[in-house]
Amino acid sequence: MIPEGMRDVLPPEGDELRAIEAALCRRFAAYGYGEVRTPWLEFAETLEAAADDTLAAGYRVYDPQGRVLMVRTDMTVPVARLAATRYRDKPLPLRFSYVAPSIRPWAPQRSQDGEFVQAGAELLGVCSAAADAEAVALLCDCLAGAGLREFRVSLGTVAFYAALVDSLGLTLDDQEKLLEALADRDYPLLESIAGNADVGDDALKALWRTLELSGTRDSLAQARKLANSAAMDAAIEHLVAVRDLVEEAGFRDTITFDFGLFQDLTYYSGLIFEAFAPGVGLPIASGGRYDGLLERFEWGIPGVGFAVALDRLQEALGEAGAAPAAAPALLTFVGGLEEPARAAELRRAGWAVVAQPVGVEAAVRPLLRREGGSYTLELADGRTVGGGWREVLRALEGA
Amino acid sequence: MRLGLASDGGPPPAALIELLTRAGLPGAPLAGANPPALVAAGDDRWLLAPGADVLAACARGGLEAGIAGKDLLLELEPGLYELLDLRLPADRLVYAVPAGAGRRPRPRVATPYPRLTRAHFAASGRQVEPLLFSAAGLAPQLGLADGVVELESRLLEAAPGFEVREEVARCSPRLVAGGAARSLQAERLAELTARLREALEER
Repeated sequence: MIPEGMRDVLPPEGDELRAIEAALCRRFAAYGYGEVRTPWLEFAETLEAAADDTLAAGYRVYDPQGRVLMVRTDMTVPVARLAATRYRDKPLPLRFSYVAPSIRPWAPQRSQDGEFVQAGAELLGVCSAAADAEAVALLCDCLAGAGLREFRVSLGTVAFYAALVDSLGLTLDDQEKLLEALADRDYPLLESIAGNADVGDDALKALWRTLELSGTRDSLAQARKLANSAAMDAAIEHLVAVRDLVEEAGFRDTITFDFGLFQDLTYYSGLIFEAFAPGVGLPIASGGRYDGLLERFEWGIPGVGFAVALDRLQEALGEAGAAPAAAPALLTFVGGLEEPARAAELRRAGWAVVAQPVGVEAAVRPLLRREGGSYTLELADGRTVGGGWREVLRALEGA
Repeated sequence: MRLGLASDGGPPPAALIELLTRAGLPGAPLAGANPPALVAAGDDRWLLAPGADVLAACARGGLEAGIAGKDLLLELEPGLYELLDLRLPADRLVYAVPAGAGRRPRPRVATPYPRLTRAHFAASGRQVEPLLFSAAGLAPQLGLADGVVELESRLLEAAPGFEVREEVARCSPRLVAGGAARSLQAERLAELTARLREALEER
């Protein structure tokens, strides 16, 4: 009935998602990230500018002039395009947020729906640990604001492994292989490449200990042991500075380091991060720094941002028993469709009223039924009240 | 922790059980179980099920870590972290043809690994028609295929008389974990990895 990888959202799930979106938008607003909306269709070359296979593999159509358009596969690139074309003479930094779906061709082994809704934020025009920390802290604030109590954010950095392959004294060929193994998360292969390249036992051991201890309290000390160049030191201490600032912003025991963290999107250039919550295997949010992206739109300013996967956050909230409060209790009013004034009176009193036509079958309580000139009210606890409109109002007040 | 051990049909290989025992993991109860099964051992629970299930469970957060073959990791690309090569039992994924087989211009290759097969031949500019077939070793006898891509060990079991033409990949069991476990269960995962690594080095 609908294309593979797509889905319908039904109530009350739709209402829950709306409540989560609202909570995230309140956090975005509290940090001054104004909401942007960009079109569903971009020129294909816009998304191709990111030079990333995942983002370039979208659905394409022709416009009447024969130009190739693409259904957006991501929001960060359209926001970069928007900033570079509309904000060039505005003072920096710029802060934008969005809640929007993107579409990627669906494959069964892929763990993501073809259409997925993200709520994200982008901070453009500053490159510093403080800017990175604001993005991470905002993410923590968003997750907490949506009602999630337990979650962790793993910090990693592209700069660390770029410096790592440099410092191991590998041939160019081995460097490439090592990065590929890191991208495939194939640590045994990585170990054997480094082992064959004769990097020395100590360096080799420090390397696998660093990857193995990722996420633990010891990972930082281990990475410092592995570091043997200024670039590696800088990459590590940058992460430490980001963590300290995020903790200062009030999010303690949330941040861990993962020096093996790898993001599939190629536009990331520095800090990368992922958020996890119990009961959900896949990251509920991810992000990072992308300093080269806006240059593709001829405006060489840096940027950092993240996106929350709304369906996964909803799953995490469900797992934690913290699903957002459902709408107010529904009162079914049989005969209410014909009495709009009385239905409106109940709504003004705070009830969510389903106004049904006279004579319709209904079993869900609380249930109000008009029969002739009088009313019968069945309350949620099973009590039944009968009589005129005033008796009904009085009984509902106490309910 | 919730752990997984790939076991396709029969009990897990003896070499692997021995390694797990040496790492202080419950080798004997796992060897005695009848897969598919969930086995309780101390605070841990072990899933014994086909490798693809173990990988899917790790990827979606149902297991904190699992042990499964490199062959399936290559075929399914589940996006998991491969933490350790458990080395035994060592195996190879091979392209093999039955002795004296005819050849279609575009060979049809029976295999449980269609994606990997297509990629392997495409990498050297050759075309094949992969045919998804779990009992790949039997397909040529039915005239279904000109060759197979299959684990060497399984091929020897299923049907002798194959001639190995080329190696597709070296395969051995790997310790794997998903991103969520690496983040939320980092300490216990690191401890498990360290214990298995020590057991490996003892050998």
